[in-house]
Amino acid sequence: MTEKAILFDSSRCTACRGCQVACKCWNDLPSEPTAERPYDSVNWDGKFTHPADLNSCTRLITTFNDFESESSQKRVGWAFGRRACQHCTEAGCVNICPAGALHKDPETGFITYDQSKCIGCQNCSSACPFDVPRYEDQGGKTVINKCSGCVDRVAHGMKPACVTTCQSGALQFGDRDEMIALANERVEFLHDHGYEDACIYGVDEMAGLHVIQVLKHGMDAHGAVANPSIPVTATLSGILKPVTAVGAGATVLGLAAMFGLAAGYKRDTLVYNDATGDTISLETGEVTKQGNGPDERSVKEALTENLPFVGSKKGGDGDE
Amino acid sequence: MDLTRRGFFKALGAASMTSFAFGMTQASPALAVEAEESWKLVNTEEYTNICCYCAGGCGSVCSVRDGELVNLEGDPDHPINQGGLCPKGATMFQLRNVVNPETREIEKSKVRQTKPLVRRPYSNKWEPISWKDAIAEIAQKTKETRDAGFVETEMVNGKKLVVNRCESIASLGGSQQNSEEEYLILKMMRALGIVAIDNQARV
Amino acid sequence: MQNTDVILNIGSNSVENHPVSSKWLHKAHDKGAKWMVVDPRYTRTAEQADIYCPIRSGTDIAFYGGLYNYIITNLIEPGLAEYTKTGKNPSNYNFEYLINYTNASYILMKDYEFDPATGLFSGWNEDSETYDAHSWHYETEEEIPWDTSATGAYNWSVAKGVPEFDKPVLAVPKKDASLQNKRCVYQKFKEHYSRYDLDTVCKICGMDKADLELVYSTWATSCAPGKAGTILYALGQTQHTYGAQNTRAMSVLQLLSGNIGVPGGGVCALRGEPNVQGATDMGMLVNEQPAYLKWSNTTDRDTLAHWLSSQTYSDGYYTNKPKFMVSQLKEWFGENATVKNDYGYDWWPKVPSHDGSDWTEMSSFEKMKEGTMKGYYAWGMNPCHSAPNSGNVRRSMANLDWAVTVDQVITETASFWDAPDMKAEEIGTTCYFLPCALIYEKPGTILNSGRWIQWRQQAVEPWDEAKPDYEICDLLWTEIRRLYKEQGGANPDPILKMKWDYYLDGKIDPRPVSWALNGYALEGSDWKSGFKSDAKGEKLTSGSINLLPGYADLAADGSTACGMWIYSGFYSNNEAPVSAESQPVYGRDNTDYGGLGLYNKWAYSWPDNRRVIYNRASADMNGQPWNKDKCLVKWDNKAKAWTTGKNTDGYDNPDFVASKSVTDPKTGVVTTTAIEPNNKAFFMLWEQNGRLESYGMVDGPLPEHYEPFETPLSENLINGRLNSPCYLGRPDTEGKKGLGTKYSDESTRRASADEFPYVATTYSVTEHWQTGAQTRACPALVEAMPGDMIEMSPALAQEKGVKTGDKVRVWNRRAEVIVTAVVTPRIRPLTVNGKTQHLVGMTHHYSWSKLFGLTTHGAVNDLTPNVGDPNSQTPEYKAFLVNFEKTSI
Repeated sequence: MTEKAILFDSSRCTACRGCQVACKCWNDLPSEPTAERPYDSVNWDGKFTHPADLNSCTRLITTFNDFESESSQKRVGWAFGRRACQHCTEAGCVNICPAGALHKDPETGFITYDQSKCIGCQNCSSACPFDVPRYEDQGGKTVINKCSGCVDRVAHGMKPACVTTCQSGALQFGDRDEMIALANERVEFLHDHGYEDACIYGVDEMAGLHVIQVLKHGMDAHGAVANPSIPVTATLSGILKPVTAVGAGATVLGLAAMFGLAAGYKRDTLVYNDATGDTISLETGEVTKQGNGPDERSVKEALTENLPFVGSKKGGDGDE
Repeated sequence: MDLTRRGFFKALGAASMTSFAFGMTQASPALAVEAEESWKLVNTEEYTNICCYCAGGCGSVCSVRDGELVNLEGDPDHPINQGGLCPKGATMFQLRNVVNPETREIEKSKVRQTKPLVRRPYSNKWEPISWKDAIAEIAQKTKETRDAGFVETEMVNGKKLVVNRCESIASLGGSQQNSEEEYLILKMMRALGIVAIDNQARV
Repeated sequence: MQNTDVILNIGSNSVENHPVSSKWLHKAHDKGAKWMVVDPRYTRTAEQADIYCPIRSGTDIAFYGGLYNYIITNLIEPGLAEYTKTGKNPSNYNFEYLINYTNASYILMKDYEFDPATGLFSGWNEDSETYDAHSWHYETEEEIPWDTSATGAYNWSVAKGVPEFDKPVLAVPKKDASLQNKRCVYQKFKEHYSRYDLDTVCKICGMDKADLELVYSTWATSCAPGKAGTILYALGQTQHTYGAQNTRAMSVLQLLSGNIGVPGGGVCALRGEPNVQGATDMGMLVNEQPAYLKWSNTTDRDTLAHWLSSQTYSDGYYTNKPKFMVSQLKEWFGENATVKNDYGYDWWPKVPSHDGSDWTEMSSFEKMKEGTMKGYYAWGMNPCHSAPNSGNVRRSMANLDWAVTVDQVITETASFWDAPDMKAEEIGTTCYFLPCALIYEKPGTILNSGRWIQWRQQAVEPWDEAKPDYEICDLLWTEIRRLYKEQGGANPDPILKMKWDYYLDGKIDPRPVSWALNGYALEGSDWKSGFKSDAKGEKLTSGSINLLPGYADLAADGSTACGMWIYSGFYSNNEAPVSAESQPVYGRDNTDYGGLGLYNKWAYSWPDNRRVIYNRASADMNGQPWNKDKCLVKWDNKAKAWTTGKNTDGYDNPDFVASKSVTDPKTGVVTTTAIEPNNKAFFMLWEQNGRLESYGMVDGPLPEHYEPFETPLSENLINGRLNSPCYLGRPDTEGKKGLGTKYSDESTRRASADEFPYVATTYSVTEHWQTGAQTRACPALVEAMPGDMIEMSPALAQEKGVKTGDKVRVWNRRAEVIVTAVVTPRIRPLTVNGKTQHLVGMTHHYSWSKLFGLTTHGAVNDLTPNVGDPNSQTPEYKAFLVNFEKTSI
C-alpha cells in the first residue's frame, strides 16, 4: 500500500462540523453536555469554534475565523480550519513515546496508538509541534486520545469517519501524492478566482504530513502553524530509541527526565539521575527531589506540572 | 484507490447487483461477516434509511448487531449524499444511544421519553400512564369534544348544506411522519370532521 | 444543480441548512458557474460564493423587480424587433422561450390596471379588503367545448359510473406574438417594473449600486439560449406577509430568463422538514386533499358535482381531475362509495369558505384563545417554540380541555404549562404525551425536495414503549370507532363508513397503506379476506391486491381506487406486493444515465418517475434541446416520435403530453400516436404556458414591493401603500368588515421603529434543526453550537457597548429573551433610503424544555409577529423589529 493522506480543502469546507461529530460517533466519544449536566446554553462564550480546543473527548474540531477584507468584492471573509492530528512523517510523538504505545501505521503512514500500552507520561504532547495529543482518564489511568486516522476503517476498505461524512467534498482520502496533486490544482483554481493568499500545507512540513491542506485565505487566517518543528526532543530521538528497548519501569522515568530537559518548557531545567533516583536542576546543580528508588509519580508530577497540557498554545481557533 | 463500501449487502452478493429492477425480493438485510472481534462492525446487519432532518433525502446505513444499533452513517451508494451526512444526520445515532462521559459506555439516551405520560389539570408534573388508559382517555375526550362541537348542516347563502364539521379540535403536524402515517392521520382527522389541519409546510 | 451556469442563493443559506447541496453546487462552480449570494448576512454559503450582496430583510420583490427591469432594458427591448422579423434568437436572450412558453403575448382584460399612487391593482374592494381578480384574466379569442362524443377525447367523462358535472369550456386567449399590443402581458409587465430602477432598488434594499449591477449583469448571462441559472430559496423567501409573491417572483424571473424546465435551471425550494414534501403532497392542510386536489368547502366545492365543475381544467393534464377525485373517494370510503351517494363526498367535512374564516395554524391559536377550539393533536410539531409569537401560543393553549403530543422528547408544546411564564396551578388542560418511534425504528415512505419517493427500512425496535405513529394512530382510531359504533354520537357515518383496513398478518402495517397510495384496480383486489404474507415476505397468501402501473390507468367510474394519484407507480410491482424492497420506490441503481444527475433508476420520482418537471421547456419549438449537451427530451423528426427516458438512455420521462391514445368504441382497439412538438410546455396549467402574470393570487397579479408588517420605514418608497393589502392577521380596524380572520393588537402587538429601531431576522444554524427537539437531544450537537445568539455588526456592537459572549436582552412588544452576543463583520449596517439601518440576526433553536442546553427564558419565537401571507398563511419570521441591551444574568 502506498502512503495515504487526508485532503482538507478549506475552500470547499462549509464548516458544518459533520466531521467533528462523526469522529465522536464512530469513536464512541462523549460530549460535554449530559443528562446530569445538561449544559447551560446561556454560558456559551459566543465563539463558533466549540469546544474551544481539542480535549479528552474531542479529537477533531472545526475552527472559524471571520475578518474584514477590503480587497475583495465581498469585503469579508470567513476562514474555516480543521484542527486534528496531522500525522507527521517525522513524528516526534512516536519517537518520544517510551512505552511504544504510539506507532506509525505501515499501511497508511498515519500515527496511531494502543491505549493499553500508554503509561500516561504525556511526553508525546510536548513533542508535538501542533499541540494535538490529549488524554482521557480510564478508571484512574490516564491514556492518550487523539486522531487515529481511523486505521480500523481504512483496513476494512472504508474512509476515515470524518472523510466519509463530509458532504461538500472538502475532505478526501486517498494516495498521498494524489491528494497533493488535487490540492495543487485547487490552489491554482483559487488563485484564478482572486484568492491570492491560497496555499497548500503539509507537503514538506515535518518531512511530509498525512493531512494535506488547501488554505484558501492563507496560513495565518486558517490557524496553520508556520514552519513547524519538533521541539528539541527530536534531537534526542537517537538516544531515546535504544533505551526504549529496555523494559518499561525505570526507563520511563529516565526518558521523561531527558524529555523534560529538552523540551524547554520548564522553569528549571531538570535531569533525572537514573542511578540515584534524584532529580537535579541543571542550572543550580541542586537536587530538587530526593530519589528514594524509582518514584514514578513524583518525577512525573515535577515534569508535567510545567508542561503546557492545558489550554491552547498554538492552533487554529481564530474566532474574531 | 477506489474506496467503495465493502460488506454492505455482501450477503446478497449478486442478488443486490441485479436488484435494481425487482430482483431484491426480501426485506432481509445483508449480513456482513467479519473475522475480527475488535472491528466495530463485526457481524452487523445493515439497513438503509433516509435522514430525518432537512428534505434533501440523504441515505443512511444503520448497522445493527443483536438487535441493537451500533453505527449509523451515510449510505455510500446513495446518489444524493454519496456517503456524506451533515452534522445533524451524522449524529442521528445519538437520538437513541449516547456515550456516558463518566463510564464511556454506550447507553440509552436519557432525554428521550419512551413511555406515555399524562399531566392532570392544575398539576405541575407529569405522571406515568399506560398505553391502554391513555388511548381510552384520549378517544373518550376526542368523542366528547367532537360531539359538543359538531356542525352537521349549515345554511350558506340560503342553501342548507351538509358540512359534517368538527370545529373544536385541531391537528397539527405531519412533516415528521412517513407518508403512510400522514395518510392515516389525515384520514382519521378528516373523518372526525376536523378542518383545522395543518403541518410544517405552512411555516 | 450541477448543470447550472449561474447560482443565486437568495433567502437560502443552502450550504448550512441543506448541507448536501454544497457538493452539487461546488460541482457546478468547479465547471465555471458563477455563484452569488444575496442575504442580509454573510453566511457559510456566502463564503463559498464569488459574489456577495447584502439585502435588507423583506425587500426581495424590489430586488427581483429591478432585475426584471434590467433584463427587459438590456436584453429584451434591444433584440425584440429583430427577433419578430427573423424568428432567430440572438446569442444573449431566448425570445423563442418567452414568446411561446410563457403568457407574455396574452392580451389582458381592458380594465387591468395598477396604480402606483395607491399601490393597488384593479379589482380592489376597500370594504371587504379583497381583490376581485376578474380584470387580471385574459381576453378570449374563442370558446371550445369538450368533445364528449363517442370518439371524442373526453368520451370518458360521460361514461357509466362517472358523476355528472358541468364540462369545462376552453377559453382560448387572445395573443399578440409581436408583444407590441399595449394590453399584452409583456407590455403591462414592462410598464409595471419600469419603476424599479437601480437607484430605487438600492434605496429600498439598502444595497450598493455597484454590487447590485454586478449581480444583475451576472444573472443576465443565464438568459442566453442554452445557458441556465438556478435560484435556491428557502424560508427567507416564504416567511413574509408577501411570501407567496416572493416565491412567484422567482418563478417569474425564471420564465423571463428561460430557465424553467432546463437542466441546471429552475427554482429550487429547499424544504426544511424531512417529509414536508410528503405532507404537502398529502394535503395535510386546511384546504387541501392529497395530491394537490382541493378539499371540499361551502362555496365552489359544496357538492361533488360542483367540485368537478370548478376544479377540472378545460385543457392540459388537469382535465383528468375527475379520475383522480373519484379514485380518491373510492379509496377513502371503499365499498361505501358509490356513484349514487356521490362516492361519499358529503361525509367529508366542508371548510367554511363563505365567511372567509381562516383555520390554519396561527388562527387555530386565536380560536383556542376565544375558547371555541378545545382539543388539540400535535404530531411531531412544536408550535410553542416554532410558531410566531409563541408566548401567545402558550397562553392560547391554556384554554384547551385537552392536548395530545406525539413526539420523541418532551417538547415545549407538550409541556407548555411548565413554561417559565406559565402558572401550572391555573391551567386546567389535560395533557398527554405519547412516545413515538425514531425514523429507523419503523418502515415507510419519505419524500425529498426533489420529489423523490424513498423507502426507509426499519433497523431496530423502538426503545421501551415507544411506538410508530401508524400504530398510535391505529390504536386511537380503533378505540374512537368502537365508541361511535357502540354509543353513537354526532353523525357517526363519516367515521363508520370510512375504509380502514390496512392490516397485514393481523397488524397495522404501512405496506397496505402504500398500496392505497399507489392505487389499485377494484377488480383483482380483495381487502376483505385479511392480508397474509408468504414465508419469503413477497406474495400474499390471503387477500389480493391489483396494483396500478401508474395514474394513466385511473378511471372516473369507480373502478379504480387511489389515495395519491401523483405517486401512482411508486409501489406497483404485483409480483411481490409485500416486499417494499422489490418496488420501484426501493430502486438502488445509482447509475447516472446521461450524466445530468437524473439517477432515473434510483427510488421513484413523482409524477411518473420524472426527474425534471416541465422538461418540455428544455427543448425548442422543434423539440430540439436548447443545449445539446444537456438533453432531457428530444423530438426525433425522422421517427416522428419523442425520445424520452423510459429506459436507461439518459433521457427523462416526458412532463408533457408526448402521445395520444384513442380507443375505438366499437372494437376497443387503442391507437397511440405521437404528438408533434408544440408550445404546450406547462401542461399542468390550463393554458399550458408559464404565467408571468397570474390571476391566481389573492394579493395581486404581479409581485409588487410592500414593506414587512414591522418596518423601519414610515412609507413605501415605490408605491403609496406601506403593507401588503390583505396580509393575514391585519389589525381589526373599526368600520371595516374585511373578510378573513383578523387579529387583535393583543395578539400581534406590533412594534414601531421609534421604539424598536433594529431590523431582526431569524435563522437556523447547520448544527441544529428547528426547535431542537431532536438536535438538543444529541450531546455532540449541543456541544458544537451550545446556544442561541444575536449576531450584529461591530459598529452596532460598539454603539451598544456589547462584546462577543455578552448576554443580551432582546425585546419588543411581544416578549423578551436573553441570548449570547456574536459581534461579527459578517453583518454590516446598510444604507436604506439614505439612512444607516442596523440589522441583527437571531437563531431560534433553544428554549426552556428539559433537553440539553437549558435556558431560563422563552424561545426566540416569542419575539416574532404572528402575521402572515394571505395565500399561504405562512408567518413573517424573517423581518421584524427589536431593541436590545447588554444584560447580566
